[in-house]
Amino acid sequence: MEINPLKINSQQISLITNPSTKQELVKYLITNVCSGTVLNQEEVFKAVMKREQGISTTLDTGLSIPHARMDGLTAFRAAIAIIPQGIKDDFGLQIKVMFLFLSPSGEQFFPEHLKLLAKLAETFTPQFIEELSKLKTVEEIAAKLPF
Amino acid sequence: MNPEDTQTGLQKNSKVKSVVVISTAMLTFITFWKAAAIVLCDFGSSAFYAGGIAYNAFGPAFPWYILGVSFFSGLLLMMYLESCSMFTRSGVFPVVSAGLGEKAAQLAASALLFDMALTGPISGLSAGNYLIGLINSTLAIFKINFTLNPEMFSMIFAAAVVIYFWYQNVKGIADSSEKSAKIIKLSLIICGILFVWSGITLALRGTVTLPPLKPQLTQEAMGWVVNIPFMQKVGYIGVLIALGHSVLALSGLETLAQVFRELEYPKIQNLKKTALIIFVFAVVFTGGLTFLSYLIIGPKNLPQYSDNMLSGLAMSLTGPTILKLILQAAVVFAGGLMLCGAVNTSIIGANGTMNRIAESGILTDWFRKIHKKYGTTYHMINTICIAQLIVIFLSRGKVYLIGQAYAFGVLWSFVFEMVSIVILRFKNREQKREFMMPFNIKFDHFYIPVGAIFVGLVVVALAGINLITKKVATISGVSFGLVLYTIFYISSRLNAKKANIMFEEGPREKLNETQVPELSKALENLPYKENVLVTVKDANKLYHFEKVLADLKDTEVNIIVLYARPLENWNAGKNREAVSVDYKELFTQVILKAENFGRQVHPIMVSSNNFFTAAAQTAFAAKAEKIVMGVSGTHGANEQMEYMVMAWAAIPERYQITAEILWPGREVSFKF
Repeated sequence: MEINPLKINSQQISLITNPSTKQELVKYLITNVCSGTVLNQEEVFKAVMKREQGISTTLDTGLSIPHARMDGLTAFRAAIAIIPQGIKDDFGLQIKVMFLFLSPSGEQFFPEHLKLLAKLAETFTPQFIEELSKLKTVEEIAAKLPF
Repeated sequence: MNPEDTQTGLQKNSKVKSVVVISTAMLTFITFWKAAAIVLCDFGSSAFYAGGIAYNAFGPAFPWYILGVSFFSGLLLMMYLESCSMFTRSGVFPVVSAGLGEKAAQLAASALLFDMALTGPISGLSAGNYLIGLINSTLAIFKINFTLNPEMFSMIFAAAVVIYFWYQNVKGIADSSEKSAKIIKLSLIICGILFVWSGITLALRGTVTLPPLKPQLTQEAMGWVVNIPFMQKVGYIGVLIALGHSVLALSGLETLAQVFRELEYPKIQNLKKTALIIFVFAVVFTGGLTFLSYLIIGPKNLPQYSDNMLSGLAMSLTGPTILKLILQAAVVFAGGLMLCGAVNTSIIGANGTMNRIAESGILTDWFRKIHKKYGTTYHMINTICIAQLIVIFLSRGKVYLIGQAYAFGVLWSFVFEMVSIVILRFKNREQKREFMMPFNIKFDHFYIPVGAIFVGLVVVALAGINLITKKVATISGVSFGLVLYTIFYISSRLNAKKANIMFEEGPREKLNETQVPELSKALENLPYKENVLVTVKDANKLYHFEKVLADLKDTEVNIIVLYARPLENWNAGKNREAVSVDYKELFTQVILKAENFGRQVHPIMVSSNNFFTAAAQTAFAAKAEKIVMGVSGTHGANEQMEYMVMAWAAIPERYQITAEILWPGREVSFKF
């Protein structure tokens, strides 16, 4: 299923009430974004984690944006998890929202990739994350999201 | 609403802490006109005494020789252009160190310091001579039967000037280029009046008697040559001796190398303009006025004005006495300022030269001791000023006596420096030179420096002839040089361990660190409206910073240089220790590079747990149009750009900004 990441529907949203680790959560979201595609989940996981080992994508707002640029993709794909209790990342930062996305590796997509990152950082303020954390269903979350 | 409420968590948690503004004396730059003015306050001041000293040495032929060395200054200036294009922190010590080695550099610096020890006294005494000349002329005109002893007056005056500038230098003189520029403007106006009035005088007289070409060397001026009969028979040797006695008119050229580091962007183009102004001034002011002095005063009256020749020129013009007296007062005023400025420049120059020597670890801590209150190297300043006072009292106020000793250091420092520049053409063939001394023959991959070799040979010939003719200069210069060289030698042995450490670490800038409560305070006094933020992390990876310095054509843009020092909870990917650097070394390199380009930069250090949020917050506080970063060896440009974009997006009232990541041959740029 190819999606526009700014048109998130409830299938791409997860409400995680019993979180384990950041890696497990990333794997879980990769399963979601890769469903219905020819993408190899293991390769995607490696690419995302390689990116995480560089500069962490966790902002201290509580938003984590694991992502990777993948060969073979022609459009963006995304999935989001809300973790009301929060989990700690490798640097001790609290993650309450994880927005995982994959973007096409072509250079022409890079400006869009950057715009998406900017949009996410701008949207998920601590107040907004706090409001999302209080919601009980994915439908309520989907309705609350501005995209 | 409380401004804190509008901040995102990213800002609240990652808000930069411990904002430190880094400043150093080396971060202000001056125009070519001001640079020329500083040099001319020293170099040009010799116009007030060079003619008189040359006249005492070899008689009425002196104007030709002073004019000759004034023209020769053009060739020397071109040699300085070449050396400055190789070394931003130029001057005799670094150039000779590179060309002939450190021992030769110590000898050259010793010679130069000898001259600087004499420049203060000769300038101070000349100023005293001009002043007493005016006082005595005024007393005579008003028929007051009282005269002051010129030598005693000049000695006390010169000592007072040295003591005044000693105190000013210990306190640390603020930017004096503005004052120098005013003095030179005033001198040019008076020079113009003298030229016009002299023209009218000569026209009214109807006849002009040019000075003879052949020098009439006194026994004293011939020095040891009186014992070598064959040399007295060769006419050209007489010319060379006369030129040797005129060469003191070139004193102060070294100031050009000292001032080059302060010259603003574009540095070499501005240096060329500076050199041109100095050359024209040397020919017109020193050469031209000395020539006019001979023509107007006339050979009969010259002895009366040998110590204040330009006053003699003013008083010998055709016109009402009161107007001539006013002109003489103007000459004395401008000359006094220029000569006193030369005293100051000699103290600054000697202190600068000793600091260059100290930077290489040669001088012991005693010399480098910093004044607790003023932060100046006051032991060096004390040593220089004590030496100048001793010279003043030993001379008993006689300018000619110092003139006899003078120029030894000028010439020998020229010899070492010119020879080094020639050697560097062969030794450092590949080194970039934005200016080359003209007259080169291309051979294979390099240029044979015919012009530079010619200048070197002339200087060597003049130094050689002075060595056997100027007895006082040779004996005092060699003695002083040897004493100083011995001090350097002993000091370097005592300081050997520290010198090795300094050699390995390289010279460090003296950085003033001022802690301010918030970013806005650090950015409130920037001179221009537009800002560019350049982030730095590694002293060895400043390609992006250099590119900004080189490519930013608009000179009215503040270049803010930011280093984000990692806090304990550093969260930008790698551990804190891995990214924590020696910030003093980092900022030393930043300042050296800014100095190379002659561009003012504004270094800031903040403590933060995130490099990118620190950059975003600083750029926002400065309202910067652009953030420029170097590429990270571990992350790659795309990852850096991603995080920069996220950090900027977290600023609530952000505006559109451009981020650039530069590395050799490539760049990533994004406007968001």
